[in-house]
Amino acid sequence: MKLRNTILYCLIACSLFTGCRSREEMAFSMDPVKNIEALWQIIDTKYCYVEEKGINWQAIHDEYITKAALLKKNNQVALFDLCASMLDSLRDGHVNLYSAFDLSYNTAWYDTFPANYDAKLQALYLHDYRIAGSLYYCAIDSGHIGYLYYSSFSNSFGAANLAWVFKAFADCKGLIIDVRNNGGGSIENAYLLAAPFFTENQTIGYWQHKTGTGHTDFSTLEPMTLDASLSLYKWDKPVVVLCNRRSYSATNLFVSMMRYADHSTIVGGISGGGGGMPMSYELPCGWMVRFSSVRMYDKTKRDIEAGIAPDILVTMQSNDKDDIIEKAIKVIHNKNQ
Amino acid sequence: MKKLRFIVFLFLSLPTLLTAQEGVEYDNILKLKVGTGYQLDTYLSPMGYSGWQYGIGNEWWQPFRQDSKLGKEGKLAHWAHVGRVEVVGYHRYINRAYSNLLTGVQLAAGWGAFYEWRWFDDRLRVFVGPYLDVSFCVRELARNVNKIVSFDVATDAMAMGGISWSFYGKKTSYRLNYLIRTNLVGFDYLPEYWESYYEIWKGVPGQARCSGHWNHNTVKHELTMDMQFPHSSWRLGAEHEFVNYGTDNLHFVRNQFSILLACRWKYRIHANARL
Repeated sequence: MKLRNTILYCLIACSLFTGCRSREEMAFSMDPVKNIEALWQIIDTKYCYVEEKGINWQAIHDEYITKAALLKKNNQVALFDLCASMLDSLRDGHVNLYSAFDLSYNTAWYDTFPANYDAKLQALYLHDYRIAGSLYYCAIDSGHIGYLYYSSFSNSFGAANLAWVFKAFADCKGLIIDVRNNGGGSIENAYLLAAPFFTENQTIGYWQHKTGTGHTDFSTLEPMTLDASLSLYKWDKPVVVLCNRRSYSATNLFVSMMRYADHSTIVGGISGGGGGMPMSYELPCGWMVRFSSVRMYDKTKRDIEAGIAPDILVTMQSNDKDDIIEKAIKVIHNKNQ
Repeated sequence: MKKLRFIVFLFLSLPTLLTAQEGVEYDNILKLKVGTGYQLDTYLSPMGYSGWQYGIGNEWWQPFRQDSKLGKEGKLAHWAHVGRVEVVGYHRYINRAYSNLLTGVQLAAGWGAFYEWRWFDDRLRVFVGPYLDVSFCVRELARNVNKIVSFDVATDAMAMGGISWSFYGKKTSYRLNYLIRTNLVGFDYLPEYWESYYEIWKGVPGQARCSGHWNHNTVKHELTMDMQFPHSSWRLGAEHEFVNYGTDNLHFVRNQFSILLACRWKYRIHANARL
């Protein structure tokens, strides 16, 4: 009898052990107040621009908790809209809310700026092109200038692709790299595309991690070093980078780096910013929130979240030609004189 | 196919390669296991994930010195050692909101020595000893942004204890075993909570620290039954592993229960054997 009881107690103890859940786990919940509270906490402790943007995050908490308390439970669409509205106050293109039925995004960072890009006008220049990896390229201006269009830093390419592009442009007087409407992607691709324009390794910026839960808890600035050996081919002729407001995130970083390349000029509109490297986390209802988490700075330690001003500001106005490409062509010709 | 055969051969002969001594008998156990588990990794997500895991492992037991005097007389104590390697895959662990999946792989290896007492004609055996465990676990949440992968490395000096009782059927002999291991002190390596996954692999330093019961709890135990048939020997059992550790900002929990099936065999490395 004693043995039987002992075995029974052992089995009960084992089942308790395997069934236990961590106290640290965030429990699943569709409750609007719990989800708004969790979302507010994530941004409060992990978002890197609360202080920088002068947002009264506590006031936002009070406002949205009150609104959440009025929501009906299990009205997921209403809860999503409320969460998205709260996130909109950050005015950040890197902030998104992902659910099974919708994706929230903010457009305030480019809405009021000129588009400075028209695919139909671009097609007047970008025709009979080749595609190396995800790089579209062709010679323009009667073959005197190389034109390279890269639509997204999420699309991969390799050093060999770049080598083919430069081989094709070997006789050109200069190169135009068009990253307008490029919404960003991998930082690694930004390094790779910038490498041919640097002859030696150099610090091209800094980043700063959020190391604690306070709005100003940051690490010291850590250098971001460009490895020039990523590309064996070096371009030593004029290069013009075209950008507009929707050149965002990794593209913004690329533009920031290219300002320090030899023979480079930035032409177009101010870039979109997105200097905060995004990360993500989950809410109690299982939705995912993406937010800026790591601050990035340029070589002079200036925050690049607000965007990079071009060397030559051009706003597109013509209906029959791309004013920004035309300006880039002139810049290259002037530099060759 | 030849490669696969070679890998299988290597795997089966691993204990021999590692512990070859002349005239010594080895007890080798090759096991497959399947079970359910729970994982919390707050680097990746604040939510817990649960699902199925599958594993394969091999362990070997061997006296330090084959002593003919021990034999059936029992009552004598002796030192022996045990080694094990194991791979466990997590497949489609899902969170409680059913909105995201976690996958991962865990590699573990260990070696321990124990002191064994025998009573009742060797039927009852009790053993205790130290055990050194090294584990590496990598997990992936593919939906995440810049925090896709997390990993941890832990080295633990553990205390190991066990008891086994042998009894006989008509044509079969049985042995019921219970084994428990728990950590004492060790060394952890975890990512920093603010690190992006690709910084981890770029060499941005994580958190390396000494671990013990104050910040790291590991309990592994298994209850198994060995069945000795005329031409083969098999092991059936259940295994439970509970690992719980954290820092100020991160918290990891692994709680797994598995059913295991293993084949056992004994073999002897003879004098003058060449490996």
